[in-house]
Amino acid sequence: MSETATLPLAGIRVADFSWFGAGPIAGQTLATFGAEVIRVESEAHLDGLRTTQPVPPGKEGPNVSGYYNNFNAQKLSFTLNLGHPKAREVALRLIACSDIFLENYTPRVAEKWGLTYEDVVKVKPDIIYVQMPMQGSTGPHRDFLGFGGIIAPVAGYSYLAGWPDRPPVGLGTNYPDYVINPGHAVVAILAALRHRNRTGQGQRIELAQLESVAATLGPFIMDYTVNGRVPERQANRSDIACPHGAFRCKDGPPVTPPVSRASPPTAAAGQGEDRWIAIGVYTDAQWQELVDAMGRPAWACEERFHTFLGRKRHEDELEQRIEEWTRTLDAEEAMRLLQAKGVPAGVVQTARDVLEHDEHLRARGYYQYLDHPETGRSAYDGPGFRLSDVPYGLRAPAPLLGQHNDYVLRQVLGYNDEEIAELVMEQVVF
Amino acid sequence: MTEPLTAEPPTALEGVRVLDLTGVEGQYAGKLLADLGADVVRIEPPAGSPARHRPPFADDDPHPNRSLAFWYWNTSKRSCTLDLTTEDGRALFRRLVPRFDVLIHTYPAAEAATLGLDHDALAALHRGIITCSITPFGEWGPHAAYLADDMIVAAMAGIMTLAGYPDRAPIMPPGEQAAICGGIQAAQGILIALLARDRTGRGQHVEVSQQEAMSIAQETAMQTWDMRKELRRRQGDAKLLPGVGTYACADGYVYAMIGVPGFGAPMTTLVQWMAEEGIAGDLMEEPWRSMLGGINLRELTALWSQPEKLQEMMQRFAHIDELISAFFRSKTKRELYLGGQQRRLLIGPVNSVKDLRENDQLAARGWWQEVTHPELGRTVTYPGAPYRHSRTPWRIHRRPPLLGEHTLEILEGELGLTRAQCEMLMGAGVI
Repeated sequence: MSETATLPLAGIRVADFSWFGAGPIAGQTLATFGAEVIRVESEAHLDGLRTTQPVPPGKEGPNVSGYYNNFNAQKLSFTLNLGHPKAREVALRLIACSDIFLENYTPRVAEKWGLTYEDVVKVKPDIIYVQMPMQGSTGPHRDFLGFGGIIAPVAGYSYLAGWPDRPPVGLGTNYPDYVINPGHAVVAILAALRHRNRTGQGQRIELAQLESVAATLGPFIMDYTVNGRVPERQANRSDIACPHGAFRCKDGPPVTPPVSRASPPTAAAGQGEDRWIAIGVYTDAQWQELVDAMGRPAWACEERFHTFLGRKRHEDELEQRIEEWTRTLDAEEAMRLLQAKGVPAGVVQTARDVLEHDEHLRARGYYQYLDHPETGRSAYDGPGFRLSDVPYGLRAPAPLLGQHNDYVLRQVLGYNDEEIAELVMEQVVF
Repeated sequence: MTEPLTAEPPTALEGVRVLDLTGVEGQYAGKLLADLGADVVRIEPPAGSPARHRPPFADDDPHPNRSLAFWYWNTSKRSCTLDLTTEDGRALFRRLVPRFDVLIHTYPAAEAATLGLDHDALAALHRGIITCSITPFGEWGPHAAYLADDMIVAAMAGIMTLAGYPDRAPIMPPGEQAAICGGIQAAQGILIALLARDRTGRGQHVEVSQQEAMSIAQETAMQTWDMRKELRRRQGDAKLLPGVGTYACADGYVYAMIGVPGFGAPMTTLVQWMAEEGIAGDLMEEPWRSMLGGINLRELTALWSQPEKLQEMMQRFAHIDELISAFFRSKTKRELYLGGQQRRLLIGPVNSVKDLRENDQLAARGWWQEVTHPELGRTVTYPGAPYRHSRTPWRIHRRPPLLGEHTLEILEGELGLTRAQCEMLMGAGVI
């Protein structure tokens, strides 16, 4: 693949046996920067994301999920039914010519496949062998069932998100699946690659998702281990800024909630879309600019709001008063007005905003539009960082299921026609 | 005869040297590199990085050397004070640059250029230097100069709109997630640039916009708009299905995901468990009993196109949910977690940091790190590694640095300044 030859990870091959979110995103980052990432999947045990919403209206099948496609751009898809007794040999043949092995099942699965580290180093001594189990490969909970949605509550994250007087519902997504866990995995892999390049030694990497997420909660955890305090959720409030929160603006036109989700009460048919602005005031000067922006109303000039500690003491009232003002403005108008005055503020953007209204993301070309044979042209998240010597962007959309079977079987694994026919007929390649 | 010294295992980033000029929002990148063995030197203004002023503080004693947030994000690093707004500070800094491989900063582009931190200026001093900037919106584009904190980045990245209850404001992610995502993305970019440099000898610039760094965490919201022109919004604790969502229990909350095809036991298993405890209500009787097997996302998906049937199903769900809720309320988080796992039911406790500290799994795996702070005469428990390498293990190489703790070691030891010169620089407020 000549277009990738000059990319930093050119020549690195990844045998990507992972599925769902955290594993595949790690593989995608490696692919973006030039690695050849072969996603090993199977019709017999389909990646759940291939059959998950959203799909373009009227489309169905394993190739049209925006959820799957967004995490697998630029990869090659190779179908291998690991439940078949002959599949292990094919898998080992692939691993033998790969630099990195990646999976994110519970530890029992690699054992069942016969693809443990001990199995794999026999055919590829310097392999970088990466497992991303929920709980780790040792310990009393090692075989616990897990899933992206469970790890945020178990690792202590959800407890800290949201309103103190309401149940903790997290961020409405499987948040750690998308940057924290895959990002940590890529950092670990790249460090191991450097070590291999210098010493010739591969190694085993284990990223237990529980540990990976908990490791990002350091200051909260240390407030407990050092001060004995259990930090509680405090919605949008801050210990160092006031006001600090999201304030409602003028409603927008009605929106269509997804048919695939329970409709939230505020988005009922015919009702306008609620619009919000996030504002954070860190200094007295910023507070005075905010007061100016509001037209210096009498309440805001009262002495009790002059100081940070005063504003903190009257925070409920302060928030209510500010919202009376923001309610009269469009969210974008409020943001522009406040930013012009040097007050940190930003629209609580929706997906429509980031795709269609955010002039900044557009100017930077963050969202990548790629033509896909079944979905048509669709949007992908761009890479999360930019390198000055690497052109920004994605080169190819997500693969169709099994799209690259022929390439992998012939060019990578070196099977002949007869062998390939057998593997396909026996549904080893499936 | 002397005992052979136990050799420390090698580190993955041995020999990599990093200048860390980050503020509050970029510290994690340097920690990731330092705990993997890079020599990371924090360059701080003489008054200390603003990050040192972030609560919480050890023993609630607000002091620049006692910020727990600073401690955590700065393990394994050293600290050297240097005032880059002075000519002397900049001159010394320029002499340091060729001795390092990587420079990370969080200054807006214009300020970085004024301080001489832009890539071109530094590459003129050292062709191999890898620079990295981490800012809310990146170095260029219409919002490059916008002021933003962590919450505002999360708002602009489309993350907040998905979080919270429909009848209240959207909520921000806790714990400075834009900074964490930005730091993780930066570390990936820096390591790729290092691998590239090993082949080409040339450094390059890594640019991180925190907004872009966390955008992919919108999950499916972006694609749902792109493909279907439908908007995902915050759902609160509205439950799509009984058995999927947050439930109150005897001592807090659990998050349950029962009926996700391929992931654990179905609703029938939960109701069986309830029946064993004698609180399954009428769910073991018809018509409920035969309905239970069909409660999963796949069956529900099939009803999406039939709103009337969906509505009818939702009413039945309410009865089932009421009984499940009562069951959950009768048990503790731990009972539900362990009992659920025995039955292959996906139920996770909503753990506090105290629960985490007491978690059997983390304890059994030796995750926690005890780090000695000699100046306080105590040992402090730190969270452990995000990943485990078999040959080049992650570790905390040194406790977080006191302000300027390594200034002399660096200026005298590396730049060859005399003690008298260092004293003069101290007097002049440069260090």
